[in-house]
Amino acid sequence: MNRQIQALTEIDRVIHEPGRLMIVALLSAVDRADFLYLQHETEMNKGTLSSHLSRLEEAGYVEVLKTYRGKVPQTLLHLTKTGRKAFEQYRRKLKEAL
Amino acid sequence: MDRVESLLKRPTAYGNVDGTGELGMGFMCLGYALITWLQLHTPKDAIWNQMYVLFIWVGSMVAMIHFGTKAIKNHITYPRTGFVAYRTQNRIWTAIIASVVSALSVAGLVLAAHSHWHIVMPVFFIGLFFAAGYAFGIARSGSVNALFRWKWVVVLAQVIGSLLIALLPEDLTATVSGGSSLSTWFSASSAGAYLLWLMLYGTLLLISGVISFWLYLRHTQAPAKEANEPANSGAH
Repeated sequence: MNRQIQALTEIDRVIHEPGRLMIVALLSAVDRADFLYLQHETEMNKGTLSSHLSRLEEAGYVEVLKTYRGKVPQTLLHLTKTGRKAFEQYRRKLKEAL
Repeated sequence: MDRVESLLKRPTAYGNVDGTGELGMGFMCLGYALITWLQLHTPKDAIWNQMYVLFIWVGSMVAMIHFGTKAIKNHITYPRTGFVAYRTQNRIWTAIIASVVSALSVAGLVLAAHSHWHIVMPVFFIGLFFAAGYAFGIARSGSVNALFRWKWVVVLAQVIGSLLIALLPEDLTATVSGGSSLSTWFSASSAGAYLLWLMLYGTLLLISGVISFWLYLRHTQAPAKEANEPANSGAH
């Protein structure tokens, strides 16, 4: 029981927030995805998604690349090595806690 | 935790959200059926029976599927529901598994023919094998998106269709092949059964792909032009 409580306290708070967890989980399964894909899958509005991405970018978990698809601007998101490692660790800790 | 596992599967299911996978496979099967029909119904020295024509044919089909899929993704799917690039590691494994499965299927068919089995039964088992592969794909994507669940009907049609082909009288399947065979290993009835199987799977996959594409268009809509851009952040 003690170990479970300890695992809970060690959980990454940046990833643990439900909105950010969705983003990180989706990005972990791909190489990169654009803003529209994340918006469509998470059903978040642009503002909420954008603020979660800023938080993840600050933590060094997500890399943001501004580019163009033809003439249309595109925001590509990529989970960094640190982000991938943090997510794997998060899943491990969560399993321990449960 | 289950929600996280489900989210991890979503991008994989997204690859065929518009039915392009089935459209490609259906087109490939019907393309093979057409070249097989031409090979069976023309003299042995006709152009369709030359090996280089088969290579050109297959190459053209692969190119059409590749560029056709890319065009649908670039002009319809990505502007509607977003762009995803998959990890190279996953793609390599998919390619390896697909190659091994295809090689085993062909080897099984050749071995069965070489061992003088009645070829109609191996065609049935290969049909079941492909139906099982398709069912696996649906089970995986259906667990994350209810829109894919109707495809179990396609699996049922594949199994029933394969069974019906296996039960057809030999002289009837021989009629389909025009009394000709693909090589000395195959009888005319075997070639006919193979041709029917290709036509059945090609048609079913093509229908399934068209329905998937129609459902995708129906359930999604292109966002306003600025929707791909974050609205309120300085960082983005």
